Formats: sequence, structure tokens, C-alpha cells
Amino acid sequence: MLLSRIRSGRRFSCRQLFADRIYHVTGSYMEPTPLLLMLLAVFAPALTGAITLLAPRETTTSRTLLALLGPLVSVASLAMFMNSFGVGVADPSHVTLEFVPSFGLNFAFNPDGLGLFFAFLVSGVGALIVLYARGYFGPDENALYRFYPTLGLFATAMLGLVLSDNMLAMLLFWELTSVSSFLLIGWNRDDRTAVQLALQALVTTGLGGLALLGGVILFAQSTGTWLFSEATTIVVQGADAMAQPGLLPWAFVLMFLGGATKSAQWPFHYWLPGAMAAPTPVSAYLHSATMVKAGIYLFGRLVPAFAGVEFWTTTLVAFGAVTMLLGAFLALRSDELKKIFAYTTVSQLGLLTCMYGLGALSYHEEPNLIWPITQILNHALYKAPLFLMAGAIAHAVGKKYLSQLRGLVRVKPLLAWITIAAAYALAAGPFTLSFVAKEAFLYQIYHAVEWASWMWFIAGAAVLTAIFNVAIFVRIVVTFFRSPESDAPPAHDEHHAHDGWAIWLWLPALALVAWQFIGGIAPGLYERLIAPIETHAMYWDHLPTVFSAAAHAGVPLMLSAVATALGIVLGLSPFWRTPVVDPHNKIFPESVSFLSRMGWGIFATIQTGNIRHYTYLVLGAFLLGLVAAVLHDPDLLNLPVIASIWGGPTGFILASLCVFTLVCATAISLPIFKSRIVRVLVLGACGMSVTGLYLLYQAPDLALTQLLFEIISVILFLLVLRLLPEEPPRVRMTGVLGRAVFSAIVGISIGWIVLQAGSHVDAQSAPGKLGEFFLANSYEGSELTEGRGGGGDNSVNVILVDFRGYDTLGEITVLSIAAMGIFALIAAAPRQAQDRMRAVSQQHLSSSLFQTSMRLILPLSLIFAAYLFFKGHNEPGGGFIAGLVASVALAVYRMAKGPEALKSLLPIKPGTLAAAGLLIALITAIVPVALGYPILRSHTGYIPLAGSDPFHYSTVVFFDFGVLIVVVAVAVGVINRLTEELET
Amino acid sequence: MTLLIAICVAVIFGVSIYLLLGRELKGMAMGLFLLSHGANLGILAMSGQPLRVVEEKTVLLGPPILTQASIPVDPLPQALILTAIVISFAVTAFLLTLLVATYRRVNHLAADELANDDRPTVLTTL
Repeated sequence: MLLSRIRSGRRFSCRQLFADRIYHVTGSYMEPTPLLLMLLAVFAPALTGAITLLAPRETTTSRTLLALLGPLVSVASLAMFMNSFGVGVADPSHVTLEFVPSFGLNFAFNPDGLGLFFAFLVSGVGALIVLYARGYFGPDENALYRFYPTLGLFATAMLGLVLSDNMLAMLLFWELTSVSSFLLIGWNRDDRTAVQLALQALVTTGLGGLALLGGVILFAQSTGTWLFSEATTIVVQGADAMAQPGLLPWAFVLMFLGGATKSAQWPFHYWLPGAMAAPTPVSAYLHSATMVKAGIYLFGRLVPAFAGVEFWTTTLVAFGAVTMLLGAFLALRSDELKKIFAYTTVSQLGLLTCMYGLGALSYHEEPNLIWPITQILNHALYKAPLFLMAGAIAHAVGKKYLSQLRGLVRVKPLLAWITIAAAYALAAGPFTLSFVAKEAFLYQIYHAVEWASWMWFIAGAAVLTAIFNVAIFVRIVVTFFRSPESDAPPAHDEHHAHDGWAIWLWLPALALVAWQFIGGIAPGLYERLIAPIETHAMYWDHLPTVFSAAAHAGVPLMLSAVATALGIVLGLSPFWRTPVVDPHNKIFPESVSFLSRMGWGIFATIQTGNIRHYTYLVLGAFLLGLVAAVLHDPDLLNLPVIASIWGGPTGFILASLCVFTLVCATAISLPIFKSRIVRVLVLGACGMSVTGLYLLYQAPDLALTQLLFEIISVILFLLVLRLLPEEPPRVRMTGVLGRAVFSAIVGISIGWIVLQAGSHVDAQSAPGKLGEFFLANSYEGSELTEGRGGGGDNSVNVILVDFRGYDTLGEITVLSIAAMGIFALIAAAPRQAQDRMRAVSQQHLSSSLFQTSMRLILPLSLIFAAYLFFKGHNEPGGGFIAGLVASVALAVYRMAKGPEALKSLLPIKPGTLAAAGLLIALITAIVPVALGYPILRSHTGYIPLAGSDPFHYSTVVFFDFGVLIVVVAVAVGVINRLTEELET
Repeated sequence: MTLLIAICVAVIFGVSIYLLLGRELKGMAMGLFLLSHGANLGILAMSGQPLRVVEEKTVLLGPPILTQASIPVDPLPQALILTAIVISFAVTAFLLTLLVATYRRVNHLAADELANDDRPTVLTTL
């Protein structure tokens, strides 16, 4: 009672606390807290995405608007957050939602500049993609029905990723982005290639995610916290503040692997072009603007902590540069528009990695790493439009290869010009934001040369990359302006012609690419418009426009001029025009096939399918383990001090020796007998002898249970043997000796273990601690057990029905499942056979003496079972034993009187009966929970009776009754079914 | 007493593993059934031998029933074994039925021949 009051009180206070965290109550109105805004920003897209599922299938407009609402709510929440609380939070607990505090699991958000910048990018582009998808899929309600929820899920995952401060929460969102990416790449489920490519992306980024998990754990171990913000502070304070500073480099290596796979760094870049199997909105959003930047985001998040790690710069710059150059080259050598843009994305990701690597060099002088951010935004502003246009062009003219698009300017001028504008930004031409970003990068490299002269190679790679990018732009322009191959007008786009949403095929691209030019031509205007985000995103205060770059001409500007000139030459030249296939594309299929073949080799060696080999393997491993244990502790080979039985009562000694001899003799003689019936009987005899050992060990409950189960098992064995064929003629057995020696070794080893452990127990004066505890608390219970104990004198029974009631519940469940399996394996005999069986069983009805005696034996047995059941709590007995006694009686009754008699006595099907028993036990277990107690809590007490001792009751009796029912149902059901089989 | 039990466990395990390594499934079923006895006896040995020296006299302990014994034995191994007996019964019954079902399907009960049935084919691509 008290407990339940405390509980409800706590629940109340929890709710109160939660409300406090969601709203600040100021005066008469409620003001959202930072936590609420963060939660809204992160979860709104997934929520609205899920709600679109509820909209009627054919209403595309409302579905689109609803899906649009999610990212818009995110943008609004982020804006409100910045408006009210600025960037970052003074007290992290204000933006923390506890989840499992004991594991350090919570949803702690970190809305700092980097996080907010990415969050705005994700939600802003997300809103445009929702609209574009409506244009792209047209009024295809089935596609939109599937698309928006997945997209919403992705947006939420991405927002959570960039805003989480808790590394584990970030990892959770990280994996969620991989999953949603998988779903979207394999969008066309009938396309086998697409599904394979989706799998390739999932496995590659998933393995990276595993590495990241390891890295995160090491990072947390080395710093002692799960929060990025705290960890960074600790690392910056130096090695003394860290728990295990030695782990930091390893954490970096693993986290780099995670980031590199996600952000498609060489040699893991192959999955990204493969991901172009996805619909274009997905390519533009996930595989260009946002998700592939997750690794870059991670590097940005980690720069402050790892800037001191020696090989940070080397690693990032080296991998980044290779990726950058390779991507640009492959882009030039591709023909499919989406492939071209995919490879330039790979190239850009390499560039960004490179930038964060270089950023670490100057980090301590200038901690605001603005250049990579400029580049990320810049990339999103032209690459997303390029993809969007690739999709729009494919829709409008049905062509997706660049070489097929001659004369597009005349056919679809609008689409062509937007594409050219975006490609101009790709080439980083003057008057675009891209130009600024490229200048910044070259400037950065130029200064890094002072640090290490091999940076000249990076400068060379950057110039080559720039040349390739310019060449790609030139080729796009030239192709679009050439006269078409044929004058035939392109197929008319019926799909979109009459759809009012068709403008959304190109409007989002225009909206994005416009910023490129605003930023390039009018930096003042751009800064005023973007300023609120920009400053908080540690963005550049004053963009070095083309004017200022020209005014301060230096090596960087010279390099980019050279690159532009050479790029134009390369673009116009006939060199490198034939498409090539990236050799890295083979990495994944080849590794899969190699692993499968290797796996098959191991499988074929170990998994022979022969059960005897498995037995040898398992036991051999066991023996090896034993050898290792002995090598570790040679004392295990010494003979332990064996407690003597000679001082004990004579009868006990004699009985012990007799039973011992019986057990050993029956066991050893078992393989000697040839007749299977004799074997089963000897098996039974061995079991009965074991019963004797139980009695000697003062375990009457065990002895009773064993005895009864032995009877039922022998019956079962005999029934089954009759269903199986006679012994086949004996072939000469080979290898009997080896088999015997091996068995003897294993047997002796196990016996030795028992002897070692057992004599250790003998040396103790009292039962083990747990045993002591159960003995002390069985009857009344104590304060420690909160009054548990079930009120019984028979400790074993009390343990089964109260202390370890869960075990018993599981056990009867296993029993029922086994029974269900048996009934399923041997399906019920068909009707005709049943009739025949009835006739047979009536024919061979056993002697009338047997039948008549059953009339007496059955009720007596059942009464005895009831007695054992009720006595069991204080004396040997209980649900199991009572159930077994009843089962044996019922089985014998069935043998005497046939199946019909049993059916009339027990009209319920055994399966149903077992389920009912389970249900009774379950209800008994759950009722205490409903009353506010722990599960399986029993209640015990006394009812005063006039003129006699008070009546002692305990609620465990219901639980035990459930056990009884299950045992009867299973034992009788199985015997009955097998007997039926035999009779048909 | 622990020595006796240990020898029993060794013998039972030896015999049941010998049966398990046989070529015929019926023998294996018997071996598995026997194995459960050995395992149960192993657990039983963990309650220590039921003798205790009290005032220089070796006395026999009583069953773990509060009203019947001044010094009861450890009840926990017994509770564990009770559970194990029931589970091993369920497993044995299931196994025996499986034998019947197997025989009806393939018409023999030789382990070596079963190994050659239903081998999966090699899979090298996803």
C-alpha cells in the first residue's frame, strides 16, 4: 500500500518534471523551452511523414502539403530557438531528455554553430525536395504514399544526427540515415540491380557505422563522457584531464573509418555512384546535399578534439586529396548525367575532408573553421540543383546521357539554362559563391605548404580537380548548344503536361542556384539575407569576392586562372571523352563473392550435416577448453580432499554403495544389449537407480518427480520404438574402439570436474549463501524479501512457485511448446483412420479385469494427486508431482478403455488444455502487478476457523495449479497421440 | 559420497556420449536421455554430501523441509534439478516424435545417410 503510494507519487513528480522541461510557465502564457524546440525540430519531419500515411491514398495535394509541414516546422523551430536562446546553450541540461540515465543514454542536443548550420541545411533543402518530389513523381499516389514517410524518417534521422550531443544518440541517428538511404536506393523493388546497389550502400556504410561505434566507445572511454561537448573540453584540457589518453588515436582511426565510409572517401567511394539507382529527389537530397555530408560533419565536430592528434591532418588530407582527384577524373569520364554529378560529389567530399584536415593546422590560432562550412553550403547550392535538373531533363526529354542531349537549349531552354547556371558554379566561375569557396581552399593549401612541402602535391591535385570541373562545364555547355542529331521533336511529356505541380520540377533548383549568384555578385545582399544563420554557423564575416580576390592577386588566384584556362582547353579537346568504368565498383561484389566462397569452404568443412561430427566438434572444443583451464591452473589436476562417508550411519553407507553400483551397472550395460526393448528397460532401470541417489541426497521431491517422469518416458520410448522399424541387420561397426576411448575421456573429464567442485562444497560447513537465504525465508519471508516466501515449509516447492517463479513459468512454457511441436510433427489421424482405429481399439480391448480395476484405480489415483498437490507446499509434492501422478493414471486408463473413454473423461483438446494451464499461471503472475506489487508476488495468510486450527492459505496454489494443468495436458496429450498413431 | 556421484557422472556421461556418437538415431535419443541424468547428478553434487559432523558425530542431514529437519540440505540445486527434469522430459518427447517424423519422411534412421540429404547449394552472390 505504502509502496504503491510512493510509486504513484513518483510518477506524478516525473510528469511534473517533464512538463517543466517542455514549457516555461511565465505569467499566464507558456513559452516553449529549448528542449521542446529541439524535439520539434528533430522529430517534426518523421511525424508529419508518418501522418501522411493516414491521408486517403488518392489525395496527393494534402499529402504533399502535410509532408512539407515537417521540414517547415523544423526550420521555424530552429529559427525560434536561435531567436530566443542564441547559438549553443549555457546549461546542457536544458536541452537534454533523459532516456536511460544509468547507461549514460539520453537525447542531449547541442545546437551550436555547426549543428544549427547543418540542421538548417537539412530542413531547408528537405522542404524543397518535398515539393520537387511532387513534381517528379507526378500525381502518382502510390509513389508518394511510400516516399514521404521514408523521406520524413530520413530528415529526422539527419537532424538528430547533426544536433545530438550524446555520441550514442548520434550513432543511433547515424544508422537510421543508413537504413533510410537503403530503403530509398532500393526504391524500385523489382529492379535487381537497384536492390543490390542498395545493399552495397547499406553494408558499406553499415560496416563504417560499426567502426564508428567502436570509435565512439573508445572516445568515451578515453575521455570519460558520452557527450561530444564535454569530451572536447576534456581533450583540450590535456592528457591529465582524460581518463585514458592512450586510446585517443585509436578512437580517431575508427571514427575516421566511420566518417570515410559515410562520406564516400576513397576507397569506399564506390557506393555513392551506385546509390544513383535511387529516384532523383533522393539523389539530390541524401546522396549529395545532406547524408553524405554526415562524415564531413563528424570531422567538423571532431576537429577541436583531434586537432592535436599527430596524423589527423595527414590522414584527412591524403584520403581527401585522392578522393577529390579520382572523383573529378571519373566525373569527366562518365556520360550519364547522374553519374557525372555523383562523381563530382565524391570529388567535393574529398575536398571537404581535405579542408578539415588542413583546418586542424590553423585551428589553434583561428578556431572558427569557416572555410569548410562555406564549401558545404556552396556545394549544396549547386549540386542539388544539378541533380534536380538531371531528373527534370530525364522526365522532360526522356534522356539521361549527356551525349544524347545535343541541342537541349533549343528544345527545353529553361531546363538547359538552369543546368548551365548550376554547372557554372560547379566550374567555380567568377561571380558565384563557388568561386569564393575555391579561392579559400587554394588559399588554405597555399598556406599549408609552409607546414609541409608535400602540400604542393595537394595543390597540384586541387588544380587538376579544378581543370576537370571546368572541362565538365564546358562539355555540358557545348553539348547543349550543338544542333540536335535529328529534328524530330522529343516525345511529349504527357505525364506532367497537365499537372499544375510541374513547375516544381525546376523551381526548387532555381531557388537554390540563385543563391550561388547572389553570393557571388552581391555579397552584401547575400550576407544580409543569410546573416542570421551565417554568423551563428561560424560563417565568414566578409566573403572574398571576385573583386577582392582580384585586388589581392596572389598565387591562389593565379592557380585558379591557370586551371580555368586549361579546363576550357580540355573541355573542347577530344581527349578523355569515352566513358570508363570505375575499377573500384568491383570491390563490393568481389568481396561478397570472396567471403561467400570462403564461408562456403568453412561451412563445407565444419557443417558436414552429420550429427556425429558435430558431437565430436563440440566435445573436442570442450576438451580443449579444459586443457586450457588446466594449463592456467595446474592445481586442477591434484586430487581434492574427499569427504569420507564412513563415519555416517551404516544404513546410509550401505544404501549409497548399492545405489552407486546399480547406477553404474545399468549405465555400462546399456550399450551391450542388442534388443531395443531391453535397452529401453535398462534405460528405465538406470533412471530408477538415479531416483535412489536423489533419496540419499535428501531430495524427496526430486525422487518423486524422477520416478514418475521415468515411468512416462519409458512408456513413450516403447510407443515410439513400436512406430519405428525393427533393427536393421548389423553391419560391422568400425571405429568402435576410438569412439569408446573418446567417450571415456569426456566422461572422466566431466566426472573430474564434478569431483573438484563437489569436494569444494563439502569443505564448507553450511549450504551455499543462496540456499541459506531460501531456507531462512521460505516460510514467513523477511524484511529483505519484502514478505515473500509463499508461506510454505517445503523450500524446494517455495523456490519453484515463488522465489524462482519466473523459471517455472518459462519451464511450463517450454513444456507446452514441446507439446505443440509434437502435435504438429505427428498430425492428427484423418477421420477415416480414426474410425478404423476405433474399431481396432474396441476389438483388442484388454482384459475385463484390467478394465474393472481401472474403475477403482483412476479415482483413487486422482484423489492421491489432489492430496500431493495440496500437501506439496509443506511436504514433498506440488504441481509437478501431482500432475504426473494424474497423468500416469490417465494414461493407464486410456490403455485400458481406449481413446473414446479418455475423450469423454477429458473432453478438452490437449493443446487447449496446456494453453489454459499456461494462462492460469500467467494470470497469477500478473495479478500482483495490477495491484501494484512485483510480478509473481504471493499472498499468504490464515483464516480463523471455529473450533479448530486456523486455515492456512497461500495464493501460490493458483500458480501451482496452472503447472499441474500443463503437465497433465502435455503428458497425457503426447501419450494419447502416439498411441493413436500406433493404433491406426 | 561426492566421489561416488562423480564416478556415476563419469560413467553416465561416458556411456551417453558413446551412444550419441553411434550411427543410429534411436541410440542417440537414448544417449541424450541418459545424458540428462548425468547432468542432474552433477548439479546434485553441488549441494555437498548430506553428512555433517556435529559435536564430533557424523549425522545425516534432513530434506529441505522446515518442519522435518533440524539441519536441512541446500534446497537450491534440488529446485534447479526439478526444472531440469521437466525440461529434459519435454526435449526427449520432442526428440522421439522427431524420430518418428524423420523415419516417415526418409524411411531410415541412419545418421550418416541423413547427412547427405538436403545439402544447401553454394551461394556466392547476394
